[in-house]
Amino acid sequence: MVEINQRNLRDVDWLLLLAPVALTVFGCIGIASTAPRSELKKQVIALVIGLVVALVVMFTDYRKIIMNVAPFFYAAANILLVLVLFVGKDINGNRAWLQIFGFSFQPSEFAKIATILMLARYMAKYRTGSITVKDMVIMAAIVMPPVILIALEHDTGTMLTFGAILGVFYFLGGLRKILLAVGFVAVIVGLIGVYPHLKGYQRERIDVILHPEKADPRGFAYQTIQSVIAVGSGGVMGKGIGHGTQGKLGFLPFAWTDFIAAVVGEEMGFAGILLVMVLYLVFIWRLIHVALGARDRAGALMVMGFVSLITFHILSNLGMVVGIMPIMGIPLPLMSSGGTAVISMFMGVGLALSVRMRRFVN
Amino acid sequence: MRGFQYLVLAIFLVLGFRFYVLQVARHEDYKARAENNRIREIPILAPRGAILDRNGVVLVDNTPAFNVVVFADDVANKEETINTLVENLGVDRKELTDELNDKFRPGSQPILVKQNALASDRAWISAHELEHPEIKVELQPQRVYRFGKLAAHVLGYIGEISPKQLEYPRYKDSGYKSGDIVGQGGIEAVYDKILRGQNGMRRLIVDSRGRPVAELEKIEPIKGQDIVTTLDFDLQNLAENLFTSKNETGALIALNPQDGEIFAMVSVPSFDPNVFARNVVSTENRKEVRAIVNDPAHPLFNKAIQSIYPTGSTWKIMMATAALEEGVITPKSSKIVCGGGIQLGNRFLNDSGGNHGMPDIHAAIVHSCDGYFYRLGLKMGVDMIHDWVSRFGMGQKTGIDLPSEQKGIIPSREWKKRVNPRDPVWKDFDTAIASIGQGSVAVPPIGLIHAEAGIIAGGKFHTPHVFKEAKPTQLEEVKYYNDQPTELKLSPVTVDIIDYAMWGVVNEGGTAGKVAFPRELNVGGKTGTAQVIAREKVRTKEHKDHSWFIGFAPMHTDQKPEIGVVAITENGGWGASASAPKVKMIQAEYFSKKLGRPILPELVALNAQQAKPEPAPAGARPRIDADRKRQPVRQ
Repeated sequence: MVEINQRNLRDVDWLLLLAPVALTVFGCIGIASTAPRSELKKQVIALVIGLVVALVVMFTDYRKIIMNVAPFFYAAANILLVLVLFVGKDINGNRAWLQIFGFSFQPSEFAKIATILMLARYMAKYRTGSITVKDMVIMAAIVMPPVILIALEHDTGTMLTFGAILGVFYFLGGLRKILLAVGFVAVIVGLIGVYPHLKGYQRERIDVILHPEKADPRGFAYQTIQSVIAVGSGGVMGKGIGHGTQGKLGFLPFAWTDFIAAVVGEEMGFAGILLVMVLYLVFIWRLIHVALGARDRAGALMVMGFVSLITFHILSNLGMVVGIMPIMGIPLPLMSSGGTAVISMFMGVGLALSVRMRRFVN
Repeated sequence: MRGFQYLVLAIFLVLGFRFYVLQVARHEDYKARAENNRIREIPILAPRGAILDRNGVVLVDNTPAFNVVVFADDVANKEETINTLVENLGVDRKELTDELNDKFRPGSQPILVKQNALASDRAWISAHELEHPEIKVELQPQRVYRFGKLAAHVLGYIGEISPKQLEYPRYKDSGYKSGDIVGQGGIEAVYDKILRGQNGMRRLIVDSRGRPVAELEKIEPIKGQDIVTTLDFDLQNLAENLFTSKNETGALIALNPQDGEIFAMVSVPSFDPNVFARNVVSTENRKEVRAIVNDPAHPLFNKAIQSIYPTGSTWKIMMATAALEEGVITPKSSKIVCGGGIQLGNRFLNDSGGNHGMPDIHAAIVHSCDGYFYRLGLKMGVDMIHDWVSRFGMGQKTGIDLPSEQKGIIPSREWKKRVNPRDPVWKDFDTAIASIGQGSVAVPPIGLIHAEAGIIAGGKFHTPHVFKEAKPTQLEEVKYYNDQPTELKLSPVTVDIIDYAMWGVVNEGGTAGKVAFPRELNVGGKTGTAQVIAREKVRTKEHKDHSWFIGFAPMHTDQKPEIGVVAITENGGWGASASAPKVKMIQAEYFSKKLGRPILPELVALNAQQAKPEPAPAGARPRIDADRKRQPVRQ
């Protein structure tokens, strides 16, 4: 399956490979300054594994992955999600981790990529034309198993990620504008309708954003307030790497996981944040470029699904860090400490590179 | 897909703008908040100044005590902190909830929740410092009243400042804040600003749970100024024993008529201020404290300055002085008939001492002739009496440096109009009984001794006071009491006649003749009997008259009196019987200390019999294993 030749190598999009590596390295600086040594080591190992995975995937024809590997991958991811429910490990209140050979990893991260592959596989039958209501139902059915399993883990943020992915597939699948509008309205109405029925803590987290002045600074607003203080106190140039007080003294919760951007903001300032955002923009731009140049719809949609995944994560995470989005426990792609997430991200990078290398019809 | 690019760009612009607002536009604000987060200023309480007697005997100072405090800034979950403290350290839930919800208290100021923590409390706290970093043990100074009840009313007591007190300008304008411990009575209250010192502070870098990471700065506290009082420990102690040994109640004041310095001030029953010192938080809720506050005998009340009594015949000194000064009687012609009493309309006011014939002023005072003074008072009239006793300071505060002094009541037409609207007109009968210190006369002991000490001192009225000196500290200079006597021009002849008459009361077989004052002291005095109810209705001890005696020494032409003592023994009966012996003992003690030799055999016996109280161990460190059970000794 893996095929390497001169022409393919020449077509590697180096920027698409370098941007995520740079982001991961950036994240490692923040992790090094706030987390125990072991976290940094794990992240570096994950980066190396991720690069190997990306290279292997890159030299593999994505069509073969979509058609032959995806169902097994999808099935495996779902089985692991079931396993998590029974033998999973609690970390920070979420039962989302599996302990295998001394490594803990998060099946939900793989489930995201697997679901994108399955959706792309379903769309592969279309060369042109719009999707029908039946297609929509089937695609929703593909998304359902992991969403339900993740709902049982009480991981709201990850559930919403799947919604974002599905939405992009509907949109790019050529859904009629009117249906799209109806769907959009339905989502808004749904969100408003769901709000009163949310659990106490979920509602509190939203209230913190809607009415920050009423929030209890020692209660639900604590994390948001401390994060905003960390970012704001960084200023233009930051306090210097390793000199952030908010992150180092423990005021910032989950500094090296969900709030890694606040650490960067505090220690490297607005300059550091701008650099990070530029790197993400380059990354996303290259991905969209790949999607635009893809030779088939399945490849394009697969890459766009990945773009949607990343964008949703960045929006939710940075939004949370600056206090304009509720806390949902969504990590910052590539930068937050978390081996599984890094590896699955590089899997996505590998897939995109594979699409890029095979953009010309032989 | 192009559309998607715009969407991503829009999202990034929004996020970027928000980062710009936080990091560039509002940077200064957040920078300050981050500093606040990590820097904690922990006050180090300044020990209050000590309080000493005039000879340097320490009456009040401080001892280190382990106190449990809570830092509100570090409380993660109020409910949980409260539950923890209630369940594991036995703190009262209500008072803790109130303290934690006190909006006026800065969050950085530690809240004192338990004093004198047991070893087991401290062990529990150190075992749980990870879960509850907000609960800490601090070694803080605790007030110790070394001799318990001794001079409690003068020394006062301490307690947490109340919300009401915080409104008073004297606290509000001097930087007092919620949670401060302040004097709540006596010297502790009046001289709080001198005693309190200046708190120190530790500036710490703390982590998010309030655990100190490093110390930036330490400012040592400055102890308050030590106050030297005018009290004399021996006289004070003896005076209290004179009441308590006989199970009597009342008040006694000993002072120097020449400068107003108070040697002893007693009010019985008394209380132990240490009870307040070990319950400074939510004082009013504590059982021990409630027992004192709700005691029907009102031990907190300082009878020497707050209780008003009819003066009885001690009043006659003022009457005689006024009459001589006004020329109603003269040194050469002062004889008035006694008559065993006086008939006024259909009522006969009798002389409790029988018929004294036609005494002159000297004999009238020596034998306390009521008939003489009824007639003298009628000659003077109520307005003249009112005018003169006012000049002696009666019916006004003396200005003593202790809180809640009472003014008292003196005879006047207005007074009768006010209190007796059914019979508002002043009558001769009112004048007559006022002339012997009954009826419309009621003054606190301090007012009486202030007035008569002023007459004895030749018209110099010194404000009685207990403050002598505040010792200097690195912050404050030495302070002395500023004595500003008010002067009243009195003829030396008048003063001489009064002196001699008072001397006669004691030494010429007068009303105090049987008390056997040592002749060499040349004590002069006056007895008094304050009638509680009409004599014929007396049934129980509570109806017995109050016994007064006021005495000065030495009363001799070539010596100035240097000690004046007034004593009132409640329900002690006739003046000379219960109070004069007390005055005698105090004066004997004063002079035997001064002359360095025993003066009165009874006093020597009494001092031998009643051992002086041992002071509480000074500055003793609290015992670490105080509450550990002692192991039985193996045989």
